[in-house]
Amino acid sequence: MSRIRLSRWLLAIPMSLLALATIYPLLFTVNVAMKTRRDYILDRFSLTDTLRWDNISAAWNSVGMDRYFLNSLIVVTSSVVLLLLLGSMAGFALSQLRFRGSSALFLGCLAGLFVPFQVIMVPLARIMADTALIDTYPGLVLVFVAQFLPFTVFLMTSYYKTIPREVIDAARIDGNSVYGVYRRIMLPLGTPALLSVGILNALFCWNDVLMSLVMMPSADHRTLMVGVTSLRGQYSDDIPTFASGVLIAALPVLVVYLFLQRQIADGVAAGSTKG
Amino acid sequence: MRGGSRAERFAPYVLVAPAILIIVVLRLYPLLLGVNFSFTGDGERNGQTVGLDNYLELIDDPLFRTALGNVGLLVLLLPVAVAIPGLLATFIYLKVPGHRFYRSVYFFPAVLSPVIVGAIFNLLLAFDGPVNAVFGAVGISPVDWLGNPDVAMFVVVGVHIWATFGMALVVFLAGFATLDAALLDAARVDGASLPQVIRHVIVPGLSRTIAFVAVTTMVGMLTSMFGLLYVMTSGGPEGSTYLPEYYIWIQQGQMNRPALASAASTVLFVIMLVVGLLQVKLLRRAGGED
Repeated sequence: MSRIRLSRWLLAIPMSLLALATIYPLLFTVNVAMKTRRDYILDRFSLTDTLRWDNISAAWNSVGMDRYFLNSLIVVTSSVVLLLLLGSMAGFALSQLRFRGSSALFLGCLAGLFVPFQVIMVPLARIMADTALIDTYPGLVLVFVAQFLPFTVFLMTSYYKTIPREVIDAARIDGNSVYGVYRRIMLPLGTPALLSVGILNALFCWNDVLMSLVMMPSADHRTLMVGVTSLRGQYSDDIPTFASGVLIAALPVLVVYLFLQRQIADGVAAGSTKG
Repeated sequence: MRGGSRAERFAPYVLVAPAILIIVVLRLYPLLLGVNFSFTGDGERNGQTVGLDNYLELIDDPLFRTALGNVGLLVLLLPVAVAIPGLLATFIYLKVPGHRFYRSVYFFPAVLSPVIVGAIFNLLLAFDGPVNAVFGAVGISPVDWLGNPDVAMFVVVGVHIWATFGMALVVFLAGFATLDAALLDAARVDGASLPQVIRHVIVPGLSRTIAFVAVTTMVGMLTSMFGLLYVMTSGGPEGSTYLPEYYIWIQQGQMNRPALASAASTVLFVIMLVVGLLQVKLLRRAGGED
């Protein structure tokens, strides 16, 4: 007993060092972003004595970050709304309704989990080009939805399985159609799962690089994460402005993390325990 | 209850149809298309059947061989990438002082995009950056972290582990929630040391979780390091940090060799399939022990 207690205290040392290693890179970036170029070149480590908000506005204005930000916002919002809608519809049917072929359809959805984007990049880009969807918002939205739908259907199905059948039967006796049950019962009851799956999907879409890079080739259609990669070349001699651009891109995620950390972790955990 | 009407009978299919349609058309069908495509030619031989030519070219291409070699390296590093979050989760589960704080701090890099992480580490690992400054302060000569072909791949994998161990940590903690606490208490009362508790209580009790984390970590290393490679090394120095996904992207987007890229995609898919089958096998065996 006491041996374990002692080792617990000893463990606190490496664990604190690791915690430091986890946050220091971000703190370093914040510190650099607030420095003047001169200060950065003279001493990049010392705590900044200036708060150069100008760096932030310079990064925001000069390279089209506002445009990229808007692109990301449009694509991510549409993708998440579609994912939640289609995922909850399919999840409801696959978990609560009895119909022929339902288990084959469920397996079909799961099969999508085993096909990463890298494997189908070439044919998918070709399909998108043939249908004139490449380099358009709907094109990238479809690619995002196809990427994250298997996981969304899977989680919604397992969540809806926990709702007792009597709830649905009662609603049907009250005269609701199947669609009415979906709209009036399943959607509201699914809120916790929808919230947690929605946040995860939003993070995945917002953070994506490869799909956005392949599907949105032209400069004004860049998403924010692709835009950030072009910052480096532009500001190779102005690291504080570069660091500011990186912070702008990370900010929405940091805010989401601060407020919704719990839901994100729950979503990840749900994905694992239901496997 | 009035389920006899036609509209009602078709309702389940209507609800599932959009999801199924998207998954089949934009995931499963492209897979077949891509495999098919890998047996055709590029450029002047576009559309012609070329048999295994693309695969033979892959075997001859030193960059693709490096990419496969690096996959081997990832497999070797997998135990480390699983053990780190596993140990940390154990300590957090045993309520090391400050465990709540550690939990939320460790998870935090997992929500950042690889692009952001890569950009931040570009600053930290610059030749005149903070990491080398710390080295200098203790008398170690600076290392060209991203410019030395013998070092760069380890650095990128290290950054990837830094950025993702929080995810695995959360999965481990969810697994701990299912562990029988009585067993742990019994071991403690018997005066078992921490390594003994880990070996005889925690590892057998969490075999399913460990198998799950191993597979998802492997899949993560195979399919989500593109952003880091793109920002930190662009596959260099001297092509030493190529992975299949980066190779596919270069051949498709930069070299205009889509058929060759499809062949590389097929190879990557086979690798993933092996990992997936291994998962089924591991999970089944782990399930048998429960």
